[in-house]
Amino acid sequence: MTRSIVVDYDLPGSPAKVWRTLTEPELLAAWLMDNDIAPEVGHRFTFRSKPMGDWDGTVQCEVLAVEPQRLLRYSWRGGSAPNLLDSIVTWTLAPTATGTALHLEHSGFPDDHAGYPFMDRGWRDKAARIAELLATL
Amino acid sequence: MQSDVFRALADPTRRAVFEQLTRGEATVTELTRKFDVSQPAISQHLAALKAGGLVAVRRAGRFTYYRIKPAGLRPLVDWIEHYQAFWLGRMKKLKALLEEMEDD
Repeated sequence: MTRSIVVDYDLPGSPAKVWRTLTEPELLAAWLMDNDIAPEVGHRFTFRSKPMGDWDGTVQCEVLAVEPQRLLRYSWRGGSAPNLLDSIVTWTLAPTATGTALHLEHSGFPDDHAGYPFMDRGWRDKAARIAELLATL
Repeated sequence: MQSDVFRALADPTRRAVFEQLTRGEATVTELTRKFDVSQPAISQHLAALKAGGLVAVRRAGRFTYYRIKPAGLRPLVDWIEHYQAFWLGRMKKLKALLEEMEDD
């Protein structure tokens, strides 16, 4: 078990091109959701999608870190109280021979990014034990 | 949804208490001895974990034992599976978009 989602994807196109698809509202909307993003730390924006179940279809975000063509991080708050998901999305870009290696980390624990040493192997060992317990359910 | 579990595990000390309980059940006194935190604080963390469905209680005489409820982690696992599928699907769309886009 892990506490965050990690997805690695090789994309055609330079990091400059991929960066545009992550930070320009129209391009971002073409593959993710309607939005009013701007790559500026502190900028608050909203993703809008069709409501589903008890989710109103919006995700509230705030840009937390920007390193052009390298890294983009924003908070990701979806749902509504008391079912609010408070999480962090981080995109990392690296050039490859054929384009860009895009790395996504979506963490459900905002304080993971505060440098608390909880990501160490100790947690993973314990998490493995919890996973074993889960498997017995 | 998943928020109760996340809220319960959002605090580092609380996560550490939860981890400690994965080693076996324990009383508040035993947990207080292991952590540099007051007994009322440990009790509060346990109450939050219990509210999040992550910890169960067993009383034996004048002792109260706390143990983890692995099933309480299920929403966390569901959340991970749900978003993993969501992001993978979107990455495919992004790849298609990049293939259509003019080069800079």
